[in-house]
Amino acid sequence: MRVRTYWVPGFFNEANPESSTRYTGTSSSTSKLVRPLATPLRVAATAIRASPRGHSQLAKPLCEGILEAMNETTQELPPEPAPRRLVRVQSGRVIGGVCAGLGRYFKLDPIIFRIGAIVLVFAGGAGLLAYLAAVLLIPAEDSVGEPAGRNRWLVIVGVIVLLCITWPFLLGGGLLVAGLLIPFAFLVAAGVLVWWFVSGEGPAGDAGDVAKRAALGIAVLCVCGFIALGGAWAAAAGGETVVAIAVIAAGVAILAGAFVRPVRWLVLPAVTLALSAGAVSAAGIDLDGGVGERDYRPASVTELRDTYELGMGELIVDLRHTDLPAGDVPMAIDLGIGEARVIVPDDVCVATDAEVGIGEARTFELDNGGIDVDLEDLPEADSGVTRLLVRADVGIGALRIGHAGTDLDLDQGHFDFGPDGDQSLGRNLACAA
Amino acid sequence: MAGVCVIGLGVLLLLDATGTLELRFAVLAPAACAALGAILVASGMTRPR
Repeated sequence: MRVRTYWVPGFFNEANPESSTRYTGTSSSTSKLVRPLATPLRVAATAIRASPRGHSQLAKPLCEGILEAMNETTQELPPEPAPRRLVRVQSGRVIGGVCAGLGRYFKLDPIIFRIGAIVLVFAGGAGLLAYLAAVLLIPAEDSVGEPAGRNRWLVIVGVIVLLCITWPFLLGGGLLVAGLLIPFAFLVAAGVLVWWFVSGEGPAGDAGDVAKRAALGIAVLCVCGFIALGGAWAAAAGGETVVAIAVIAAGVAILAGAFVRPVRWLVLPAVTLALSAGAVSAAGIDLDGGVGERDYRPASVTELRDTYELGMGELIVDLRHTDLPAGDVPMAIDLGIGEARVIVPDDVCVATDAEVGIGEARTFELDNGGIDVDLEDLPEADSGVTRLLVRADVGIGALRIGHAGTDLDLDQGHFDFGPDGDQSLGRNLACAA
Repeated sequence: MAGVCVIGLGVLLLLDATGTLELRFAVLAPAACAALGAILVASGMTRPR
């Protein structure tokens, strides 16, 4: 579009000689009026401007009424920049011109996109699929750099065929990306929130500030993780009193700091320490007894221990070949984390008093699971019948008590879920009805 | 407030360690939630501006 611009020089303005006024318009009539006069008036104006006698008196009678014609200029405004279009370029392309087009569009070196595409090709073939989709969807440029026309139906059919072929890969890739990104997003959010709590600096500012705070918060989380592990281990190893005193001392320091100098940073580690030790205590986890697998097969009641203890692992007490006397035979099981199994002969009645912090307790046909599990089954036995009194304390894990010849029986070579999805532990039939 | 809550948790642990109280999840979970909530409230009330 041709735009006419009229500059009225300031020296024709007595009120404000230093100012100029710019008129812009497209009026063809104005152009026709002023164009013939433009050149001579421009010459006159130049002379007036250079006159040492003062320009106002000369200029006013000369140019009044046609001021707008003085500096008429016709100029081509710089054309509005054409909208950037993403096209597959012809020059510099290697295969289809996709990466070169992306490089031109984003004003980056195309090698960046080529490297990315190659990396994605080896990452499950996503790069190849994306490249094929780009070839279909991004128009190629013609000889003058404009997007060339495409066969619309050909594109639609091509995309449908591509989707039909690649939807398993796309789904898998999407799940993979989601599987990576969602935990990462949660981690970043947790870091921001933790740092917000610790320092009082919220998620404000630019992205760099937020990323910095998220990183600091994640670092604090890592430190708290180590503190939690240490507190849990100390509590499980019998140092709960020490942990409790340390937590109280931290609380006193925080309380005193409120009046002297705030130690806000101490709150999170202290709470972490307290909760980790508290969780271990609540679950009843005791690491006394070591770690590993213990398999006890006492032959007689004299070999039968009062307490079978294991910190972490698998504890098996097999009483099938134990010569148990008639009457009550007490036995205790103390397991921190893991699984405890007690296999008893069919002619033994079992009375159970079990506590499981988190997990499951099963005795024959009784089952209880969840948090703070209590299972109490105290049947009576006839005289002449052995009654095994089992008192069990499991922190996290499972307790199972059953007869030989069931799925609990290791000698049968399996300890699996039955065909009905449950385990058969037999029935406690030796007890009195 | 936060200091009092932390001291409370520590006392709870100490009572369990001395056998005065049997700490179970049924006790710990409400206590922990209450302590954390109070700490967050106190933190929000005393946040630096």
